[in-house]
Amino acid sequence: MTVTPIDIKADKRVFKAASLMGPRSGLPTVIESDKDGKLTRIRPFHYRDYMDWDSKQPWKIEARGKTMTPPDRTLPGCYYMAYKKRVYSENRVRYPLKRVDWDPNGERNPQNRGKSPFVRISWDEAAQIVADELLRVREKYGMSAVLSEADMHGEGKHVAPSHGCANRLLSLLGGYTIQMRNQDSWEGYSWGSKNVWGGEPVGEMQPSGNVWPDIAKNAELLLFWAADPETTPVGFDGYMSSRLNEWLHSIGLKYVYVDPALNFSACRMADKWIPILPNTDAAMFLAIAYIWLIEGTYDKEYVKTHAVGTEPFFDYVLGKEDGEPKTPEWAADKCGVPSWTIKAVARDWARKVTSLTIGNGGPGIRGPFSTEPARLQSILLGMQGLGKPGVHQAKWLEWNLHTAVYQMPYQGEASINVPHRAEIVRPYGSASDFQRAITKSMKDPDEPFMIQEDINKGRYKLSEAASTIDELAELCKTMDTPPAQSIPRCMVHQAILNESIEWWGLYSFCGPAEQQWTKHVFPQPGCSRLHMIWTDSPCNVTCWNDGFSFVKALRSPEIECVVAQHPWLENDCYLADIILPVATKFEMEDICDDTGGGTLTAVFHEYPACPPVGESMNDFECVAAVARKISEDVFMAYTGNDKAIERVVELFWQGCGVAHLDKDDEFHKKDIFVVPGDPNIQEKPPGLRTFADDPEKNPLTTPTGKLEFTSTGIQEHFPDDPERPPFPKWIEKSDLHDERLNGDRAKDYPYLCMSNHGRWRFHANLDDVTWNREVETMKIRAKDGYQYEPAWMHPITAKAKGVEHGDVIKVFNERGTVLCAAYVTERLIPDVVYVDHGARFDPIDAETLDRGGAINLISPRNNISKHATGMVVSGFLVDFEKVTDDEMAGWIKQYPDSFARKIDDATGVCLDGWLIDG
Amino acid sequence: MSKVICVDVAKCNGCYNCQLACKDEHAGNDWTPYAKPQPDIGQFWVKLTEHVGGTIPKVKIHYIPYMCNHCENAVCMEACKFGAYYRREDGFVILDPEKCKGCGACMKACPYEAIYMNKDLKICQKCTGCAHLLDNGYKLPRCVEACPTDAMQYGEEADMQDFIVGSTVRMPETGLHPKVFYRNIPGKFIAGTVYDPVEKEVVIGARCRATNGGKTIEVLSDEYGDFWFKDLAMGKYDVVIEAKGYEFKTFDAVDATIDVNLGDIPLDKK
Repeated sequence: MTVTPIDIKADKRVFKAASLMGPRSGLPTVIESDKDGKLTRIRPFHYRDYMDWDSKQPWKIEARGKTMTPPDRTLPGCYYMAYKKRVYSENRVRYPLKRVDWDPNGERNPQNRGKSPFVRISWDEAAQIVADELLRVREKYGMSAVLSEADMHGEGKHVAPSHGCANRLLSLLGGYTIQMRNQDSWEGYSWGSKNVWGGEPVGEMQPSGNVWPDIAKNAELLLFWAADPETTPVGFDGYMSSRLNEWLHSIGLKYVYVDPALNFSACRMADKWIPILPNTDAAMFLAIAYIWLIEGTYDKEYVKTHAVGTEPFFDYVLGKEDGEPKTPEWAADKCGVPSWTIKAVARDWARKVTSLTIGNGGPGIRGPFSTEPARLQSILLGMQGLGKPGVHQAKWLEWNLHTAVYQMPYQGEASINVPHRAEIVRPYGSASDFQRAITKSMKDPDEPFMIQEDINKGRYKLSEAASTIDELAELCKTMDTPPAQSIPRCMVHQAILNESIEWWGLYSFCGPAEQQWTKHVFPQPGCSRLHMIWTDSPCNVTCWNDGFSFVKALRSPEIECVVAQHPWLENDCYLADIILPVATKFEMEDICDDTGGGTLTAVFHEYPACPPVGESMNDFECVAAVARKISEDVFMAYTGNDKAIERVVELFWQGCGVAHLDKDDEFHKKDIFVVPGDPNIQEKPPGLRTFADDPEKNPLTTPTGKLEFTSTGIQEHFPDDPERPPFPKWIEKSDLHDERLNGDRAKDYPYLCMSNHGRWRFHANLDDVTWNREVETMKIRAKDGYQYEPAWMHPITAKAKGVEHGDVIKVFNERGTVLCAAYVTERLIPDVVYVDHGARFDPIDAETLDRGGAINLISPRNNISKHATGMVVSGFLVDFEKVTDDEMAGWIKQYPDSFARKIDDATGVCLDGWLIDG
Repeated sequence: MSKVICVDVAKCNGCYNCQLACKDEHAGNDWTPYAKPQPDIGQFWVKLTEHVGGTIPKVKIHYIPYMCNHCENAVCMEACKFGAYYRREDGFVILDPEKCKGCGACMKACPYEAIYMNKDLKICQKCTGCAHLLDNGYKLPRCVEACPTDAMQYGEEADMQDFIVGSTVRMPETGLHPKVFYRNIPGKFIAGTVYDPVEKEVVIGARCRATNGGKTIEVLSDEYGDFWFKDLAMGKYDVVIEAKGYEFKTFDAVDATIDVNLGDIPLDKK
């Protein structure tokens, strides 16, 4: 017996890029929706449905008699399979909102940010208020009083980017103060490794082309240093990393994971898991170097010809400098790894052809003094012949970033750079001003300096070829007025709470090492303090450092107006006065690219998959609505003469860099052009091979052109820096940080907190996705019915506090308290509490107590070190206790309004909880 | 003619895409007469399960997706008094949502806990094999299509014999003849690290033997002093560790009904 099949053919089928890198887009998926415009399903993109697969010349890696090829479909991760729930989330901002007790013409009640609910207002009213406030603040304080928090890692969009649209408008109004992103993904590498091997622009090993094919052919051992191919890559690039990981193991490479936690790759693939205490990697690296020096098992010839400043470092390792040889026994005491295991790693690494793999840095390079483990990692690779066959630092994601030849061989004859109609992380002042300032700080001012005008044009500018298309050049023209001053993102709260701040180095998001020697201040002469904030990346409380201080800062009476522009009511949005509802990429037309999915590269036309939810508009239109309220001229200048979106898409296609390769006009006929792979790409030298072969002819970008075991730059500028000395050391503590288990503060807070990217959430994205929240490593439903953020702990750690799996616990230190649920597991080293960052803030008391598990609320205030302007969000001290029923009842009594907010059974915190009837 | 789903557990990376894609297809979408909408949370027509074994630092995890087995002897069908179940030509067992009265007899009968009660709709619900898609030209059930590592495969039983022969099914003792086949579900392990507590060095190349029922397995400790007896049948094993220059070390009747980490084992010099 069979039933008559129903007709379920999709009414509409469109492509959408699956990536949360924002600005960059991502691999194509197929979105199907019904005749009513309701999203039906999200599927991988099958290449053969749209083209002759073989004609696209898919790559293959051949090694050890085996071949790896990409599958003929894309590999979207868990984030996209469930993205329908993000689009239709109970947490969507469906119309403009105003904080109920914020009156721009009367009492502003800044002290109630993060506490008071919101009321619905019209778009007309919202746009008018924002326009009026901008003009009022400009009149009273000047435009530098407006801080733009325009950052990254929302949805990848081009025509109406998630981030930086407001900067165009603020520029037109006369400049602004920009929040400059610190090097969050690669803090330690940027502030540390750059001074060893250059590795411009972010301090990870560069060039990095073809390292994975070379590893497949030549490496015997892969070290996974805080690297999880199953987690970190997925939000940008999907699961090709998972397949590569599987394949390399299958052809015989050995896998050793050094990680406080047994991560999601290690739990299946590890030949050896070495649990290590968070932020103690420097001790282990030093002990490994010690064994190599004692036993003579490093590449002495290579070091002689490729490295400088080796002796002071070797002397330090051997104890000649401070009388303390950095033996495995010395290290074991600090890092919690048995000395016999450290010796075994040192010998295995020396004996085998070894690459060290990373997933950017994760917690491994986001702790106090993260420059030191990063530099040691680079130096140790140098001691084993970096750049020789199979000897690299290799990354499980972003294979296309910062390198002309990709790490995996999927690129085509030309590379794709779809234009981007916004200005994000644009440095303040003019580039020539900065070049003059920086040149003054250099030893030889006549030496040509590597700074290009580019960095003053925003990170995403048109390619040279695209600039010749006049209409496009006009559309994407960089606004004339740059920001007047900047504040590092990790110091925004300090800039508000203190009279002035100063910092070293952070000038642009990915600038050259020479930037590190220049000092900056806020406020700049002639500029204002902050009085208004506009954010399109409202996640500082959950993704950045010292979140509770950020709340305190935004409650300052000095901050008269906070505007948030976001699709969801979450995190910093609670601190806003006006919220503009943004449409997700599913609701808009766009042109996107796949440059990271790892199958092949592609450009595709995205049509709306569904109508906008509520009254939401895309980011570009949100800002345009405000621009229109200011004047028609400003509106036309902001929009580039209000060009139709179809025309913008067409211009972006013409300027994307591969239109000339599309001989059959596939982009217009099929809405997607997949660029054929370049079969010769693997002939390019892998990684630092040319440097390894001839360091004189092919120098690094360091001042000496060599691997600098002792940094000439640091030696010259900060020779006495106790936190980042000229060569890397073990730093126990400093004036800024006392975050070791044997330190003084550990008497009060005896556990180390580790924080990582979550597997089921991407930074602050997707914490509301109901289906992901059913996975226990994403949320744990406790006995009170609330879904808490899991706090991993070892059974020994849990038992010491009488805590059982699933109990509600409080994790706390002097900065505040965050509630979680205990996830008791053998997958974590004892004495550690591990909570992923990015859980949505659910304030009980917005300055001290959070129910949502946003662990960064209690991360340290101080930067990596005095001269390294990055954040510390892992490897810090906390204590924890079980929350008793009495304590919870006490909070409910003390904070009745917070507990009265609606919590959706499946979504958690939601729009309705923060909304009251106007 | 019968369709099957084959799961290679060794390839499963635990990404939950199968579980999520199933929800994407069925939660909030009405595919009557194949199925009514699945509730947003609480039902798992494909349910990924996580299996953790061992203690720090010898811990291993594998994941297994569970779903309706579309059994040849479908006890659910027999248990239903309302004729709501039927088998399609392709073998999929469908629960007609319009005939189901929500009595729950099928839930009780199914040993795999693959059937769920929808309290709002007052019906039972389960996996349909995405028959509504297959009948409309789609090639794969959603869970299979979403699998990024090819751990799940779908096809004709006759064509999948290479996988099926030697594979296993859930609870074969029930005799229900499931149509979902599994390979590479690991057995238990006994592992440890041997080291010299005086020299503070791992001991490489130690002969490690595990004996159960007269059968002995031998491995050598590796570069890290680690030894692993993997994929063991459940049972008690006598473990003997022997290294040149060291005293024997023995562990009697190690209970490998669970994964066992014997820890860092000091060997005494002779």
